[in-house]
Amino acid sequence: MQKQFMLGNEAIARGAVESGVKVVAGYPGTPATEIVDHCASNPGVYAEWSTNEKHAFEVAAAGSLTNQRSMAVMKHNGTNAAADFLMHINFTGVKAGLVLISADDPGGLSSQCEEDTRILIHNYAHVPVFDPSSVQEAYEMTKAAFELSEKTEVLFALRPVMRINHAGGMVTYDDEAKPETRKADFVIDRSRYVMSAVVEKELGGELRPKMRHRWLNEKQVELKAIMEESPFNWAEAGEGEVGFIGCGIGYAFLKEAEQIFGKKLPILKLSTLPLPEKKVLDFVKGLKKVVVFEEVEPVVENLIKELCFENNIALEILGRDTYLPKEGELSAGFVLTAIENVLAGKPYPDGENKYIPARTRTQCTGCSHRGLLTALKEVVKKNGGVVTGDIGCHDAGTFEPMKLQATIYCMGSSIPMAYGIKAAGFDKPTYALIGDSTFFHNGLTGLASAIFNKADVTVIIGYNSTTAMTGFQPHPGSSNNLTQEGLKPMDPGVVAAAMGAKVFRCNPYNVEETIKVITEATAQEGVKVVVAEALCYLKFGREGKISYTPRTVTVDQEVCNGCSICVRTFGCPAITIVDKKATIDTSSCNGCGVCISVCKRGALK
Amino acid sequence: MKFDLVIAGVGGQGNILASQVIAKCAMDAGYNVVNTETKGAAQRGGSVLSHVRIADGEIYSPLVPQGQADILLGFEPLEALRYINMLSKNGTYIINTAPVPTILSNLKVDEYPSQEQMLAAIQEKGISGHFINATQAAKDLGNVLNTNVIMLGAFTAISDILPADTILNKLLSMVKPKFHEGNIKAFNCGRTMIKA
Ligand code: SF4
Ligand code: SF4
Ligand code: SF4
Repeated sequence: MQKQFMLGNEAIARGAVESGVKVVAGYPGTPATEIVDHCASNPGVYAEWSTNEKHAFEVAAAGSLTNQRSMAVMKHNGTNAAADFLMHINFTGVKAGLVLISADDPGGLSSQCEEDTRILIHNYAHVPVFDPSSVQEAYEMTKAAFELSEKTEVLFALRPVMRINHAGGMVTYDDEAKPETRKADFVIDRSRYVMSAVVEKELGGELRPKMRHRWLNEKQVELKAIMEESPFNWAEAGEGEVGFIGCGIGYAFLKEAEQIFGKKLPILKLSTLPLPEKKVLDFVKGLKKVVVFEEVEPVVENLIKELCFENNIALEILGRDTYLPKEGELSAGFVLTAIENVLAGKPYPDGENKYIPARTRTQCTGCSHRGLLTALKEVVKKNGGVVTGDIGCHDAGTFEPMKLQATIYCMGSSIPMAYGIKAAGFDKPTYALIGDSTFFHNGLTGLASAIFNKADVTVIIGYNSTTAMTGFQPHPGSSNNLTQEGLKPMDPGVVAAAMGAKVFRCNPYNVEETIKVITEATAQEGVKVVVAEALCYLKFGREGKISYTPRTVTVDQEVCNGCSICVRTFGCPAITIVDKKATIDTSSCNGCGVCISVCKRGALK
Repeated sequence: MKFDLVIAGVGGQGNILASQVIAKCAMDAGYNVVNTETKGAAQRGGSVLSHVRIADGEIYSPLVPQGQADILLGFEPLEALRYINMLSKNGTYIINTAPVPTILSNLKVDEYPSQEQMLAAIQEKGISGHFINATQAAKDLGNVLNTNVIMLGAFTAISDILPADTILNKLLSMVKPKFHEGNIKAFNCGRTMIKA
């Protein structure tokens, strides 16, 4: 046994590698991203960044069918994107252990929405889920998930939350673990791996989907028995007639609150789905009330309500559906407040809301997106057009001071939404703003759809050669992939042209040129693609590669009249207005020179 | 023994490095350590809070519970104010008084509070602590990027949980040699800023 400080994501990767994982595939998404990187650094593991989560899942599943332990890694939004495949692999089952990591982001700290993938994975797809309560458990559960998946032939999911993925803690791990090597062997079994509405002769002519659904339902009995014995669920005795149930990280906050409270409470730790029903029934015996702490929907709460109803148990069950706030993440303070108030018979109090000036997100100083956003804003100011947005660093252009994109939904939404607005009869131009990684993730099919449906739309691709927002992972438009350098990048402009779009190019650091090119593209009919090409400053600047000639920008104090356009509509963080004149903070300015074209008075030089 | 530290600042100020230095020293000293960062969807210049929890027993939550932190290091006064409620009534703070305006305050959508307002709101909590202008001191020493090192030095002047030279040596082991001299100066400067 060894002990080492690890990030949650590193612990999950360690667990997977110790389990002999051979194929790991994912798409970067906070908070799950680092898991793939940590796996990739192990010899003998095939790791990849796939173009999207559905494909990552398919690659990993194929690994399992080829008798190699495999893992697919994504965040909750990605699991939505992969839901179609999830609903099939649950019917076929797996061969070698297959684990899905679906990281949730309660509170939406780094996401467009907050959601609970346990509903999709367990309630809907009937796949078992582990919900770790600590970094140590994330490691142990990953190993258990591989073992059990292989034993039951069912996909297993690990649903860590942000506070597990991005927490660092001491992990005791197995230094002896020698992953077994086994032969890659794909045994064709069409009766299982061909999901189709075919008739099963031996089963009296039943259709295969119904037969496999029955298989999945029957599996639940075996899974329930496993969870009943699982070392990840246990009860702790304590004082009083109110019991507390901690699911995943909810247990950690509950223990913390107990320490602060200085009193032993009756606690049931539940970290698996299906629920260990006997354990739950034993725990609630003699209790008047239980409070369930879980991230973030009332999944366990509702299951316990059902269970008690079926067993004729009169018990007050409080949780996210009743009593606690329905939105947002848990914390020790949240749990402590709940315990105090439940014991005192009071409602959960409303939080005090005292506004402290927010720090909103923007692009880095020196980022090319700021030039692109500025140019596009100029164009739509003139023609009254609408810009639909997508996911990536540029999406901060939606907020103050740019306030450009009118919509932000999920990966790849921008193109169909932009031409949908036109299809609905909008008579001014529409623009879809999308990044290169997102373009390959889910933009390609949207673009195909636009061309195929004879749309009239201008698509603008911010081509910065990396997936910048999640920490610079490569994608098909980069010159490398996860393991090898020196690939020929797939140029999104060339791809779009091959698909039939009219392609234009510009350098977003040159605002005038970009305005001109977007205006030219707008004037044409059909599907136009403008590729705004410049390397991500933050990533490539460190490597000494910059897509502009750096210069020292100064403010001519005589010419500047303090109109503050450079701050109010452009918003480079390096510029502030001091004593009615623009001032450039030399320690944060990166000399991209984009601001020069923003000051119409010519005060910036 | 149980020690909870939170470091509040703006993305890019180096508070994550500072928290890692302290966490690593505590681990070397044989303590149990848990840490995490909370950054909104805002790593580019956004608000960042690092949590470091050190104990000789079990630590459950990766987040320091509100009202439990022993020390708050505020790398920026508005961020210190945002997270002042993390601090225990018996805790202490060191707050860098140099403001970093927010985008919205630049736009006059929000009003960035005056120095007096912020310091008053912090003092109103009835918790004792120190205000230092670490940014100015770092500039005076020739490198504004050493603000975090000044804060780290200042930390060692108010906490004896880990020896100051252990922390300095750990820091030096984590940065390039060409920065060592500047770091040592900044670290010692931070220490004296508290004593003065
Ligand atoms: S990380 Fe790169 S693309 Fe993102 S804002 Fe910074 S410079 Fe721009
Ligand atoms: S630099 Fe130009 S845009 Fe900025 S405040 Fe002065 S005159 Fe206005
Ligand atoms: S102040 Fe001007 S030159 Fe400097 S980073 Fe900002 S936009 Fe670029």
